[in-house]
Amino acid sequence: MNADTKKLISNQYGRVNAPPIERCRVNFCTDMEKSVLMSNFERRGWNQVGQDDEWNFYWASTQTCRNLFSVESGYRMNDNQIINHFPNHYELSRKDLLVKNIKRYRKELERESSPIAEKAEVVLPGGQVGTRYVHLDFIPVTFVLPADYNMFVEEYRKSPQSTWIMKPCGKSQGTGIFLINKLSKLKKWSREAKAPFHPQLSKESYVISRYIDNPLLIGGKKFDLRLYVLVTSFRHLKAYLFQLGFCRFCTVKYDTSVTELDNMYVHLTNVSVQKHGGDYNNIHGGKMSVENLRLFLEGTRGRAVTEKLFSAIQWLIVHSLKAVSSVMANDRHCFECYGYDIIIDDQLKPWLVEVNASPSLTSTTVNDRIMKYKLIDNMISVVLPPDGIPDVRWNKTPSPEAFGNFDLLIDEELLEKEEMASTGRSFKGHKSRN
Amino acid sequence: MESLKEDAIHHTAMKLAEELKNLSIYKSFYSDVQKLVSSPNVKKEDFKHTLQQAMKEKGLDTKLRNTVFHWVRSQNKQNKLDPLTSLSKASAQWEKRIHKSLNSMCSDLETSLAKVRSQSEQEDLSNKWNELSTYNLDLTKYRPVYAPKDFLEVLLTLSGYVPFTKEGEPKWEFAHLPLQVKNLDQLRKIYVEWTNGEPLLGVNPNMPSAVSGFSTIEAERIGLGERVTALGYAPVIQEYLKKGSPQCLRAKLWAQVLGADVGAQQTAYFNRLKKSVLEVDLMIDKLIFKDVQLTASNDDQYFVFEDLLYQVMLCFSRDSDVLQNLRGCIGNPLNVTIKGKQTSADSITVFPPSGIIPFHGFTMYATPFCYLYDDPVQLYFIFRAFYIRYWHKLHYISTHPQGIVSLCLLYERLLEANEPLLWIHFRNININPIRVVFKWIMRAFSGHLPPDQLLLLWDTILGYDCLEILPLLALAILSFRKENIFQVNNIQNVDAVLADLSTISVIPLLQLTLMKPQ
Ligand SMILES: Nc1ncnc2c1ncn2[C@@H]1O[C@H](COP(=O)(O)OP(=O)(O)O)[C@@H](O)[C@H]1O
Ligand SMILES: [Mg+2]
Repeated sequence: MNADTKKLISNQYGRVNAPPIERCRVNFCTDMEKSVLMSNFERRGWNQVGQDDEWNFYWASTQTCRNLFSVESGYRMNDNQIINHFPNHYELSRKDLLVKNIKRYRKELERESSPIAEKAEVVLPGGQVGTRYVHLDFIPVTFVLPADYNMFVEEYRKSPQSTWIMKPCGKSQGTGIFLINKLSKLKKWSREAKAPFHPQLSKESYVISRYIDNPLLIGGKKFDLRLYVLVTSFRHLKAYLFQLGFCRFCTVKYDTSVTELDNMYVHLTNVSVQKHGGDYNNIHGGKMSVENLRLFLEGTRGRAVTEKLFSAIQWLIVHSLKAVSSVMANDRHCFECYGYDIIIDDQLKPWLVEVNASPSLTSTTVNDRIMKYKLIDNMISVVLPPDGIPDVRWNKTPSPEAFGNFDLLIDEELLEKEEMASTGRSFKGHKSRN
Repeated sequence: MESLKEDAIHHTAMKLAEELKNLSIYKSFYSDVQKLVSSPNVKKEDFKHTLQQAMKEKGLDTKLRNTVFHWVRSQNKQNKLDPLTSLSKASAQWEKRIHKSLNSMCSDLETSLAKVRSQSEQEDLSNKWNELSTYNLDLTKYRPVYAPKDFLEVLLTLSGYVPFTKEGEPKWEFAHLPLQVKNLDQLRKIYVEWTNGEPLLGVNPNMPSAVSGFSTIEAERIGLGERVTALGYAPVIQEYLKKGSPQCLRAKLWAQVLGADVGAQQTAYFNRLKKSVLEVDLMIDKLIFKDVQLTASNDDQYFVFEDLLYQVMLCFSRDSDVLQNLRGCIGNPLNVTIKGKQTSADSITVFPPSGIIPFHGFTMYATPFCYLYDDPVQLYFIFRAFYIRYWHKLHYISTHPQGIVSLCLLYERLLEANEPLLWIHFRNININPIRVVFKWIMRAFSGHLPPDQLLLLWDTILGYDCLEILPLLALAILSFRKENIFQVNNIQNVDAVLADLSTISVIPLLQLTLMKPQ
């Protein structure tokens, strides 16, 4: 007891500047001079260099990263270089590919007769009976348009009362998104967009997803979660979840009436959307910490359901990553921090909305800045070997002291070792799929 | 001797029985007992015993015990007449100043303290009752009547009302008020479980449990807490809360220990309060709106609860039961005529009916409950119970040992005795040490600590049924940040060192302060 007490309190002095970490010569390069990045690099005493110089650590945009890895560039990285994206991250971060990969993953598991792919019958909102995956039903029913138009219409007919959400595959920050509650509206849109549903002709593809129309509300408002997930390897899968995620609230009360269908302040939780609203508050920025969400749910709904929700969120993240692990180019020089968008419905079931490969590092509030600073700091200490110099030969097994606010979500290599050590014992749901 | 004692018990029982008849639960309780008497379980031959047994089975026994518990607690109010007439004089003057400031704000803004709301206004307010954040009010000209800072100034002049007693006593502001406060050793005797180093929630939930059958302290507390709340016996719950409640049981336990459960009666009462908000426009409503806006609406921990808080705070101002319960503790509120109602019989209202004029940050007394109750009625009654039992003591001048004056004095004495170097440092840089912690104490740390830590702290207030933990925590925080305080020499910088309490772990810090050095 005494030891615990002392350990806890030793950590609570006032705002003292964190001690500078021992200087080691890391050359970093970045094409985003965001202050949470730069202040972290500076505190570590790193040295900024240009793209053509000998960098060890590159914080690049996805575009730069793709160029670097392209065949034409002919760039070869050495063992002391790491970069913050996987070359084909879009398998996860593009809305249409994410859905395709998850659908494929489920089919594969089903073929293997994996218990994870168990199915059950459910009654749809329209009264019809359909089948759903019991454990892998974590994305809203989604189709890619125009390609899957006929399949969509079939699904639509099953429950014509439902609302759907249309999202352009390649855009972000809520741009181009709209809600649809009638098939005629979709047809009208397609006429106006002058892109008839001919895969060859249309330039832009969309995903259309069942709209989660029963989100959990707090204070009458819709919100979603922004969680940060760090992946240091896809095969074996090694992933970490940052504890300090946040909820992004709408500024206007949730309202399902048809007249509000076009009011994006009611339906879209993106900060980039909400900040243009008249009710946006730039002191808190509509952000509440996930820790406080947990406190609220435990206090008002109880512990069991809260625990269940949070473990379902972890489950969802792990399986979304497993769904792409086989198609990802698992380059040893890469790590990536994903921004997961998750909606919780009023039954406390989490739904994966999308995964961002370049989550915003802009700070909207003071607390936001502190949180994002820690995110970068902790991330760097997880991806670097103990001596602080990037090295791809390292086994990517940081000591728990390096985790900071990250929790280990999954480390398949570790699981495999444990499994071998205790043969006979099975690790439900964590089986390596290589 | 024995018979004398029995007589006394008998007498008390008679008195209690009389008192119970005046309580609101009496009618329903009586009819429940009547029903029980006519049931086959109760035998005429063995009336007393079988009735007692039946009452136990039906839970009426616990209900009766709890009623007595709550009644007794509500009775042992301190000396209604403050012995220090000087303090009552000061408090009366302060009240007069507040009233004057309200009146002049009214005339400056060309409005009235109380007026009837027009039909359309009533409808508008009623339609927006669940989203009062969208109720349009121009509040730019409204200012909080007073802030903790102003109240502290008043407290600091208190010594002036007391004749100087001893030469050579330090001239610290509260120090020569003839009030008794405890020292650290005496506090250790109150918080004895803490002092003895017993395991508490809020240190490390995964610490192994000493009780067999439980893996961690958290599991142990949940297991025990579930039994305690099922039993529902208030004194046992109070005892349980001393070592901290798990968040998942807190809502229930707090309601039980305060006797603040909500039923149809309470819901109806709340709706009556709401009706009176809708009917009459009190100037104080604007101040309430303003206060919620200044505090909760801008706070990332509470903004989502903004709409709930408007309801609760507005209704609170209309609650004359608050005034009833606190008569003698909170001065004498104004009586004002309601404009537009002059001719009717009920044209005079107490302003406000609760008697409580909010100060800047008053809403913070209610905000943390939002993490426990999402129903406004439940939230309301818990907040009200806390206010009546504790919070009012933090912003009214009295000699009560739990009152703000004594708490400030306690803080000063604790600091002087236990952190003499810090004490000297403050003197050297000419800062009155109460200044740097006063707002924490006055707001019971609400808005200063993150909600999870705050709820743990408030467990302790309920568990030990006293507020001395507040100055003790102030001392503990100062003590742990003293190295940083030693490095600065003006109030702004001291404030900066103490501004961010988000990394404070309240329970270990307090326990370390209470545990004797080995
Ligand atoms: N299926 C859905 N049901 C309900 N709300 C959704 C759904 N999909 C998206 N949203 C809302 O729209 C927002 C933006 O959608 P998202 O897929 O994240 O696109 P973007 O890349 O533009 O951020 C989400 O943050 C969420 O608030
Ligand atoms: Mg998004």
